[in-house]
Amino acid sequence: MKAAAFAYERPTDLNTALALIAKADGTTKIIAGGQSLGPMLNLRLVEPDTIIDISGLAELKRAERDGDELVIGACVTHGDVEDGRIPDVTRGAMQRVASAIAYRAVRNRGTIGGSLSHADPAADWVSSLSGLGARITLRSAAGVRNLPIENFITGALESALQPGEIVEAVRVPVMTPSAHWGYVKACRKIGEFAHAIAAVLIDPERATARVVLGALETAPIVLSDASALFGGRVTGDFKQHFDARVADAILIKAGVANAVDRHIHVAVLRRAINEAAA
Amino acid sequence: MIGLTVNTRPVKASVEPRTHLADFLRDNLNLTGTHLGCEHGVCGACTLLLDDMPARSCITYAVACDGARVTTIEGLDNDEIATELRAAFTREHALQCGYCTPGMLIAARDIVLRLPTSDEHSVRVGMSGNLCRCTGYVGIVRAVRTVIDQRRERGITPIPGGGRQALGPAGSGNATNPVVSETTARAAAKTETPDQISVAMAIPNFTPAKVFEDQFTVAFPPAKVFDMLGDVAQVAACLPGTSLIGTPTPERVEGMIRVKLGPISANFRGAARIERVPEDLTGRIVGMGSDQRSRSSTQGEIRYRLVPIEQGAATRVELSIGYSLKGMLAQIARDGLVRDLAARLTADFARNLDRHLSGVPVDGAADGSQDLNGVSLLIGLLRRRVQETIRRIWGR
Repeated sequence: MKAAAFAYERPTDLNTALALIAKADGTTKIIAGGQSLGPMLNLRLVEPDTIIDISGLAELKRAERDGDELVIGACVTHGDVEDGRIPDVTRGAMQRVASAIAYRAVRNRGTIGGSLSHADPAADWVSSLSGLGARITLRSAAGVRNLPIENFITGALESALQPGEIVEAVRVPVMTPSAHWGYVKACRKIGEFAHAIAAVLIDPERATARVVLGALETAPIVLSDASALFGGRVTGDFKQHFDARVADAILIKAGVANAVDRHIHVAVLRRAINEAAA
Repeated sequence: MIGLTVNTRPVKASVEPRTHLADFLRDNLNLTGTHLGCEHGVCGACTLLLDDMPARSCITYAVACDGARVTTIEGLDNDEIATELRAAFTREHALQCGYCTPGMLIAARDIVLRLPTSDEHSVRVGMSGNLCRCTGYVGIVRAVRTVIDQRRERGITPIPGGGRQALGPAGSGNATNPVVSETTARAAAKTETPDQISVAMAIPNFTPAKVFEDQFTVAFPPAKVFDMLGDVAQVAACLPGTSLIGTPTPERVEGMIRVKLGPISANFRGAARIERVPEDLTGRIVGMGSDQRSRSSTQGEIRYRLVPIEQGAATRVELSIGYSLKGMLAQIARDGLVRDLAARLTADFARNLDRHLSGVPVDGAADGSQDLNGVSLLIGLLRRRVQETIRRIWGR
């Protein structure tokens, strides 16, 4: 229950950090809040030779509006979002997601970028930010690139991060006033990893619906046009038109073979839709 | 060398990077009021205040807190809220053995500070990160609610966010000096020393713990496939992540295979014995190997039989794969997941074999760049470990 020995480096600026990470080999891990990596180190599931601590980098600890997006630095914590220390562009949606991640003591150190890098399919930001249509900014010594979150998460614990790259920021679009948001997860105990997650962003005025089914054993299912779930058309009374059979068929197609699991996912989706309609 | 302010007292100490904050406080500063339960962030016993915010000291490394303000239960003797909470805990019988109590008081202090009202649901949610196995929580919840009510009645208003202004992990960003490669002796010595596998080491027969079947087809006649399977170096070249050590003989081979499981990568190094029966186009490979990092070892057996199909123009390769796994990886590798990994390995192997027999270069194999990726092995692993550990700790 004690981590194996590792060498520790803590750069104080982003460029130095990127240079260090660029020459790092496969046995180097990056740590921010350490709320996912810490347990794995203590259980000795991971024994890196070197750990590079990016939690001191001021460049990654800010949040600001850039046009119609909020750019949130990778080292902003769940607690920062929960407590409203960053601007709110999602009409409280991110705040509610953040306040239900693990426990307060974990949220005070766990970071948004760390959670996404870890790419646990049951993690809240993986599904919720996909639902909000957020993008992720990855930076390496060679340059920078932006990806939609759903293209970043490639599988269970697998992401599009290349060697030498770190998550620099998350770019969350400003939620339109007419949008309805619902986010529900199934946990038997508060704070545990979810067994099923559903995120829905429905805008009847624009007739758009974005739906995410998460906490699968792989990357979430992201339906950027989820109108099929509502009889082919997104209207103001979308709740009445929700077709659970379509959701079930989508889950079957995605390889969720267990009927009980599908039932839980569909039930969670229904609740999220009800929340959005409320 | 790190500097901390612990319970208002400045402390300077040299600390190994792997030492978590709780161990540092307990072992170096004799502040044993911070308790350790699960040591992976679940039970809450180690909760303390880091830059005035509750944090898990078991998954926070002391070195990462350079410059931070640490407040342990010992530092709350004269704290107003903690004093009220202690009285309430006593009155409501909110502790029995006391193991969880330091963490409970820290977590309770935080919600007393922040919650506007004492509704039971919010208090229970707020305390959900701290486990108690004596009291059943009723007394704890009652104690916390009473303190909130009394303070709000006295006109003390809640402080949203506990008053924190800075962004980023609590305890981070206080140090201005970079740390460059604080290597410890063990980390330096950990660079893998190759296992010396004696050439004379016998590879015993064994009874596999798990056996499953698989098969694939190749568009070449059985005799040609059988010849190919006799060429150890070529077979290895078709297996992603595999590299050979030394020169293989037709009967014996030594090598390594790298398996990547999300953030974990295992390098199995070992040897295999090869048996072939040309008369009935069957063969058997028995091997054993170990991975130093995960302290896991495996024994495996692959039996194959070549069956002519399409009037002998093609071959169906029928496999029976048996294995036993010991060590860390055995705890996490559920049967289905190993099968999944083996199935992908078989598929890759079949594709490469086909390419090889067709004279197309096998790309990416053998140089380790195309590691096996068994990431699904990890799914649920941490969660399950956490649950098992809790069960173990609390005897449930």
